[in-house]
Amino acid sequence: MLSRVADSIYWMARYMERAENTARLLVSTRDLLLDAGSEGTSQERLWGAILSATGDEEGYFALYRRIKGRDVASYLTLSRENPNSIVGNVQAARENARTVRDQISDELWECINGLKIWFESVAGRAESRNQTVAFHERVLLGCYHFQGVAASTTPRGESWHFLRLGTCLERADQTSRLLDTCSGLSREMPPHPDAQPLRWAALLRSCSAWHAFQTRSSKLDPCKIAEYLLLDETFPRSVAYCVREVKSALRSLYGHEIRGAAMPDPVRRAGRLHADLAYAEIGEILERGLHDYIDDLQTRMIRIGDSIFRAFVLYADLTPVGVPEMIAGPLSNVSGGDFAEHQSQQ
Amino acid sequence: MPGLFNRYQTSGFFDEVFTPTSSPRPHYRALLSRVGSLQPSEYSALQNAVDAAFLRMGVTFTVYGDEQGTERIFPFDLMPRIIPHSEWQHIETGLIQRITALNLFLNDIYHGQKILADKVVPAELVVSAAHYRPEFRGVRVPRGVYIHICGTDLVRDDRGRYFVLEDNGRCPSGASYMLENRNAMKRAFPALFQSLPVRPVDSYGTMLRETLAHLAPRGVADPVIVVLTPGVHNSAYFEHCYLARQMGVPIVEGRDLIVRGERVFMRTTKGLCQVHVIYRRIDDDFLDPLVFRPDSMLGVPGIASAYRRGHVALANAIGTGVADDKAVYALVPKIIKYYLDQDPILPNVKTYLGVNKRDCSHMLANLDKLVVKAVNESGGYGMLMGPKASKKQREEFAVRIRKNPRNYIAQPVLNLSRHPVFVGQGFEGRHVDLRPYVLYGDRVRVVPGGLTRVALRKGSLVVNSSQGGGSKDTWVLWDDQKNQALEDR
Repeated sequence: MLSRVADSIYWMARYMERAENTARLLVSTRDLLLDAGSEGTSQERLWGAILSATGDEEGYFALYRRIKGRDVASYLTLSRENPNSIVGNVQAARENARTVRDQISDELWECINGLKIWFESVAGRAESRNQTVAFHERVLLGCYHFQGVAASTTPRGESWHFLRLGTCLERADQTSRLLDTCSGLSREMPPHPDAQPLRWAALLRSCSAWHAFQTRSSKLDPCKIAEYLLLDETFPRSVAYCVREVKSALRSLYGHEIRGAAMPDPVRRAGRLHADLAYAEIGEILERGLHDYIDDLQTRMIRIGDSIFRAFVLYADLTPVGVPEMIAGPLSNVSGGDFAEHQSQQ
Repeated sequence: MPGLFNRYQTSGFFDEVFTPTSSPRPHYRALLSRVGSLQPSEYSALQNAVDAAFLRMGVTFTVYGDEQGTERIFPFDLMPRIIPHSEWQHIETGLIQRITALNLFLNDIYHGQKILADKVVPAELVVSAAHYRPEFRGVRVPRGVYIHICGTDLVRDDRGRYFVLEDNGRCPSGASYMLENRNAMKRAFPALFQSLPVRPVDSYGTMLRETLAHLAPRGVADPVIVVLTPGVHNSAYFEHCYLARQMGVPIVEGRDLIVRGERVFMRTTKGLCQVHVIYRRIDDDFLDPLVFRPDSMLGVPGIASAYRRGHVALANAIGTGVADDKAVYALVPKIIKYYLDQDPILPNVKTYLGVNKRDCSHMLANLDKLVVKAVNESGGYGMLMGPKASKKQREEFAVRIRKNPRNYIAQPVLNLSRHPVFVGQGFEGRHVDLRPYVLYGDRVRVVPGGLTRVALRKGSLVVNSSQGGGSKDTWVLWDDQKNQALEDR
């Protein structure tokens, strides 16, 4: 597969996942606010925390002076100035899909394209202007549609593995961000006595983990929730689950067991992180400080992303000269510069 | 005439569907009885369903000069154009004759230049052609073929005779719309295909692939073929992707290719992989910054030298633009006579050459009656529609022609044939042309169909998509007798 195509499939998956997470976060935040009552200061704090969770504080404050729920929601949903908004992410996913249309199924293309067409339709415009829950739910449906079609129409070759890499790295990153935000918030006791459990419930809903967690435990114990979202390998949005998927996708890409010095860098990094998560203990993590732990986790996931980029996208340029036929097996320990975030709109 | 046609006027033009006495031509009867029975609302609903499907599937082209890079669907009219078997045979033999002669001409121009020595074509005209590539003189191209994929534009005059309007021997586009239009028609009128002997066009992808595979360097059993696109922002990007998919080959951009040791490789996740045949949708100018435009970011440095050495084949070959020069077009009948000793089966439109003194004064004296075209422009740009132009526009053109007569040709305004197009409540006549696709691999083959382009604006003679034209599906019939028999039942 062309390196550029692999890169585009990876980013297409990442952007769709990001759009999905933002939409779900906004839906669950709205629920939370309805339940928690309208206590002005805490509302503001909550929306501020959401901006930091999505990493959009700087961009937001370049446009707005104060935090207002409506402005934040609109900035995260459809702001043209925010490439990270839901509409911006779907647009970027579509651009990437367009560059690899020959590699993805027609159904998958039509699913992403359909969402974009809906955004531009009269109905879609009205829904988005009014910031309705219906708008975000429609986006979520579109993203689930994407996941389903991708899973049922993509041959289990390189396309599929790059799709999984993009999806799972993004998902692990989002889950860890949300957990970080939520735990940071709960240090500041909200005025309403019921608000804290509500907030942890909203976190579970933001990760689609509400029902799954409920079957585990009837009590909303923050430690248990953190453990579940970080370390539980049975839940498909937990960090541990996603990292395991990344590891297995990389193993499939290399196609054979590589050990010792010949082990490719991405496999080594993903394998190590997976092992750390598999043998971690929530008590230790909390003792060390959840925030620092998550910070470290995110740094390691960024490095895995860099390493994948170097191994599969930059690799061909490092191939020895004058080899007329296909050369198998990417280099193992390529060192390179920083991984620049992929620009879909060059 | 049935309901949707009750206000239809042929208005003195040659109409594809109706005779001057307003009775349907025999090969349209079955279609008219089906379409004519529809209510305007039913027809609109079918039309809207097709438009929505095109949008959903991204059957679009990008409009340039628009900040948003808007993708639009190519306007499509459901009523197909039908070409009877005997008429198609005439077109087909004419096209085969023409592409054969053009290839012999290009081969000669880039090697022995006999035709120039014999003064059949003025050497000055060829050497001064913008797309003549002297640096490729003497370079042997695979199988001696230059134009492998040709999209020849045909028009009909007021008596229904077919003429060649231009040869597109560089990167003709539109084949994907021909294929998608057919798919749309099958969905909209499934029953019609069972009652009419319409020849299929969907083998185009296979034929194209065979044509390309035929060019591979000798001894390569399973050649790697790619489609080279300028990228996602190109107006024809949908088509590039579509054709790559039809052939089952990768679509690549310049940055995916790299030349090492005079061979072309693509950058894959498993390292470099050699490429043998490139169907390029990039003009010569942008193909190799080391040989052509150094500022091109779309091409591949070194690709021209790999091509020169025969390690990679390009379709179409470098330098075919000479044949697209509208001044060379005027000489094609002579070219056919010279190489094949035949008269052209499909005649040219009468053309005045600016480079020819007598023609030039005729041009300048009759600007209000002629269509003037710059020799290297395409897509309907750089044209003067004499009868419709203002005095000021004609004067501007006169200045340009005097300054650089070589750069202009003129033709009489053709009364192009018309075809019904659905407009709001019923049908009205609009001018059409026809672009069939010719493939030259181990032999010359013409796809039985093509792209019928429509000037959607009332009275307009310009069919180019860049100028707001639309298209129709084109049905070539297997057999006129069979068609007749169906009629009589």
